[in-house]
Amino acid sequence: MIDEERLEILTESAKYDVSCSSSGSRRHNQAGGLGNGSVGGICQSFTPDGRCISLLKILMSNECVYDCEYCPNRKSADVRRARITPDEICSLTINFYKRNYIEGLFLSSAVFETPNKTMELLCETVLKLRKVYNFNGYIHLKGIPHADEALIMKAAKLVDRMSYNIELPSEKSLKLLAPQKTKQSLLLPMKSLKDAIDYEKFNKLRRNTLPAGQTTQMIVGASPESDGQILKLTEALYRNMNMKRVYYSSYIPVVQSSKLPSVGAGLLREHRLYQADWLIRFYGFDVNEICEENENLSQEYDPKCAWALRNMHLFPVEINTAPLETLLRVPGIGAKSAYKIVEARKFAKLDFDNLAKMRIVLKRAKHFITCKGKFYGADSFAQVKTSLLLDGRSEVSEQLSMFSNEATALSALTGEI
Amino acid sequence: MKIFICDGTVKCFYTAVFDAYREKECVITSDDATQLSLDSEIIKVVANNEKADRVEKGIKKCDSEAPYDIEFALRSGDALKEQICFGYIKKLLERKSPVKKAYNLPEVIEFNDILHKVSFEVHRLKGFLRFMESADGVLYAPYSPDNDITDLLTAHFAERLKSERFVIHDLKRKIAGMYNGHEWITGYAGEAEIYLSEYERAFETLWKKYYKAVNIESRPHEKQMKGYMPVRYWKHLPEKK
Repeated sequence: MIDEERLEILTESAKYDVSCSSSGSRRHNQAGGLGNGSVGGICQSFTPDGRCISLLKILMSNECVYDCEYCPNRKSADVRRARITPDEICSLTINFYKRNYIEGLFLSSAVFETPNKTMELLCETVLKLRKVYNFNGYIHLKGIPHADEALIMKAAKLVDRMSYNIELPSEKSLKLLAPQKTKQSLLLPMKSLKDAIDYEKFNKLRRNTLPAGQTTQMIVGASPESDGQILKLTEALYRNMNMKRVYYSSYIPVVQSSKLPSVGAGLLREHRLYQADWLIRFYGFDVNEICEENENLSQEYDPKCAWALRNMHLFPVEINTAPLETLLRVPGIGAKSAYKIVEARKFAKLDFDNLAKMRIVLKRAKHFITCKGKFYGADSFAQVKTSLLLDGRSEVSEQLSMFSNEATALSALTGEI
Repeated sequence: MKIFICDGTVKCFYTAVFDAYREKECVITSDDATQLSLDSEIIKVVANNEKADRVEKGIKKCDSEAPYDIEFALRSGDALKEQICFGYIKKLLERKSPVKKAYNLPEVIEFNDILHKVSFEVHRLKGFLRFMESADGVLYAPYSPDNDITDLLTAHFAERLKSERFVIHDLKRKIAGMYNGHEWITGYAGEAEIYLSEYERAFETLWKKYYKAVNIESRPHEKQMKGYMPVRYWKHLPEKK
């Protein structure tokens, strides 16, 4: 059994990987095996920082040959080092899973010896877990840059999700801060994995490769890129690489370096980026509508509000007649509310009272809608701006509780739609 | 006012609906602690197959999914659940077509609310249930849910922990779901005495260590944690004890 000290070292270092989603896989329990996938994802616990624990996030080793500036485990850092064997990982996963502590395993590693050697051992671990320990639960495996394609493809057939982290939003920053990782070493395997998934899909073969797809992550605020650039890149990753999710992690200065800013990026920026990401994926927005290439997102207003304020000529819209796509663009009306409105108005014409009873938050929306022709918003543009600004402040001071109700919050955390 | 008292089964509830349907003002409940007023007339409902069938068929004609929804809503721990379901059934029979999405009606909103509370608790507890391993290898998970969902969770874990044996124990309702590695049943279960396996404490300690290690201390957000994982579930979570 693994001892407490190594567990601490190897999980401490893994926690900055944001993804903890366990959704997207329908893997079945095979005869005599343990576990299955839950397509909507399940959260086993939540930590005092408000994040969910769904997976056992652990590094196989934190002994790294790379010297990435921002990483607490970089080669030149003076930290405690540890390694865990494939069997120890398997046994820990099985025993945590049986007790329903976790929904699956998120296995990652620092690059020890060589990329191939590391990837081989990661592969061996997931193979053992699947074939020897008969584990059918969720596995998320981190890809090692520069490892052989054959090894990566082998692993991809065993696990549910893989991720190569973009790390930094531009090649220039990557060169400066993570010189041993190149853009190609991250994008090429991503592309091969996407092609392998597509091949099975288009030829109607059994889906073995990464049923829950790929994700990636980048650090925001360690390098000078603008939100506009970051979102452009995000859009390209969704379009060209078919990413399930792009995660942002706001930079926390855990490492002292002249090449890195000494202050963190703050949670607000990360929050705004996620809001914009949501608008692109679920609300039919184009990145150009949200943010210009070299600009940052507004701090004061959420991106949908900011967009609406720039496009006041499109409002107000009538709740009882506006199409779904238009409702989705009203500040304060989320996807669930928009769908509810579309359903409910088939039964009766809706007024403000109905909306309130349906628990649709009107604080922001009232400036942009009419109900049966009635308008209850502020009279002038200036008043609308002030009112939204005040509303935004309370949102920020509420310590960024990202989602208004628990149901959407949970689904958002697990990545389920 | 007439008060129809049911025994908590679906059949009895449908029978009560049959008897109460023509009443102008009445209450259907299975809650013994119902407040009585001076003019209340208590009617103990006895389940009647024929009446229940007629109600169920009538509902099914309006919306084929409604009987399923109603059975699900009756798992709720809400004291007014029968009354809320009754209101929903009245609307359904009045319109003679599905009303589940008629969010303009308060009866529908109330009904959807309890439905959501039940299904959301099932979803949550698929995550928050914790098993401990006993000396003879049986996994044991005590919990106290708001709603009557033990059979649903048992089915979920029977699929997942196929070759294990386990017991899910609702301490509040004194019922347990039991799985022997092949099939599962639910039944009465009072108190349980568990002898833990020799590794149990060690894994629990590792889990607590892990819980502590993955937290990012520089970003405290207790409010969000409690929103996602309400305090009433903590007493069965080793990491929060």
